[in-house]
Amino acid sequence: MLRTLLIGTLLHAKHLSRSPFEIALALVIPLVQATLAVYLFRAGDEPHRLLEAAVGAGLMGIWSSVLTGSGGAIQRQRWHGTLEMIMLAPRHPVLMILPITAASAVTGTYSLLATLLWGRLIYRIPLDFRHPVAFLVAAVVCVVGLSMFGLLMASTFVLLRNANALANPLEYPIWLLSGMLVPIATLPSWTVPIAAVLPTTWGARALREATSGGPVWPSAGVCLAISAACLVLGALFLVSFERRARAAGTLALS
Amino acid sequence: MKTLRLIGIGGALAYRALFNWTTPAMYVGTLLAGPTFQLLFFAYLGRQLQVADDRFFIVGNAVLAASTAGVFGGTMAVANERRYGTLGHVLLSPRSRTVIFWGRVLPYAGNGLLITAFTLGMGVLLLGLRLPLDALPGLALALAAGSLACGFFGLTLGALGLRFRDVWVVSNVSASLLLLLTGVNVPREGLPAWMISVGQLLPITHAAEAARRFAAGEGLSAAAPQLGWELLVGAGYALLAAALLRIFEAESRRRASLETL
Repeated sequence: MLRTLLIGTLLHAKHLSRSPFEIALALVIPLVQATLAVYLFRAGDEPHRLLEAAVGAGLMGIWSSVLTGSGGAIQRQRWHGTLEMIMLAPRHPVLMILPITAASAVTGTYSLLATLLWGRLIYRIPLDFRHPVAFLVAAVVCVVGLSMFGLLMASTFVLLRNANALANPLEYPIWLLSGMLVPIATLPSWTVPIAAVLPTTWGARALREATSGGPVWPSAGVCLAISAACLVLGALFLVSFERRARAAGTLALS
Repeated sequence: MKTLRLIGIGGALAYRALFNWTTPAMYVGTLLAGPTFQLLFFAYLGRQLQVADDRFFIVGNAVLAASTAGVFGGTMAVANERRYGTLGHVLLSPRSRTVIFWGRVLPYAGNGLLITAFTLGMGVLLLGLRLPLDALPGLALALAAGSLACGFFGLTLGALGLRFRDVWVVSNVSASLLLLLTGVNVPREGLPAWMISVGQLLPITHAAEAARRFAAGEGLSAAAPQLGWELLVGAGYALLAAALLRIFEAESRRRASLETL
């Protein structure tokens, strides 16, 4: 099972790395977001939070990558005419779809590296993390959490012929609700329960705490627990929605 | 009269045939919900950082909302002809290609205006922005100028689609740069001089400035210079698009790469 996941992730990461579109977007857009965040934080007279801004912008990039990846996970297979073959494979559908979202999250980690390097080289932001080792662990936890959240979303996209319509507007709400740049405390109180069940909220919190101080491990633990719930729900939805799509004859319709 | 017909009916037909986001789900998701969430994100970020008041972000992001329809629509107006294998038929037409493609911008500009008005309305409803009633005609003018300039900017990017195969990279990166360089979300005085200079040549920059003046209760005389600049930028991109379409068409014919995907 682990071998299927690892080889699948490697295969899809290689596939993504052959796309000039994916490469160009992954190279440029995180840097634009990091630059925007730096100038906004400078304009807000909060230069001491520039490292937080760079980390937040990097995490935003990972989410964008996962969102595009999970939105496209089903859609691309439809366009390539391979979705039916994937669903007919003798392994559980989760083992076929999870590597696609995992590959998006893994390639998305470039965003985090790029925004940190960009901040260091161009804006001279000192990379003095309060807990450097915990930061690395929190980054891995984020990647795992986002992969599984991506799987949950991808599973619902099996039912939709135009998954991009749902994926496109989800970028900003998750950035906002997860507190990647905007602290959740500044949002209306009704958003708090929604934010609390998102793995991105806890992943972002773990990274922030590793950057500027705070208890990293509880946040990382909650992120992993919610991610595990996403995996279970994603697996259930994927099987259920796949059956419905096959019964309705819409599985391969793009 | 024939030219007007070509612009009007030709533009509408091309919009229906080539714009991929006309289905209700795509339209609502990408063109209405997306800009609204973007507006909320930057308004809350601005509140937290105290960079500027809500009006700055609401009006700025409302004007920017036109860019999605304009930039991607303009690109689709050219690139999708190639994708659907109909580019050759358009280029064989005995009518002026410049008029044909300029006419295609108008539905996207109208669409952009609709989206900006919706986004501004959401800003009023969700964040409690108050606008003086007498500012509305001026605001409509500024939004229309921004939408038109965005449409021609998108057509310029679309023209690149005759030369480069993956024009969507250019569109996506350009849309992202508009967010940074137009001063919609970062006060322009906080940006480096070179970014301000580049921003002056982009659509949205001057329209956002004009719209902010109208929203602050200033009259047409205060916003007129910025409106004029926005229209000038739009006209510049219209000419650039026409020139690029002509050059790349000739080159594509010469290299026999007109319909190569």
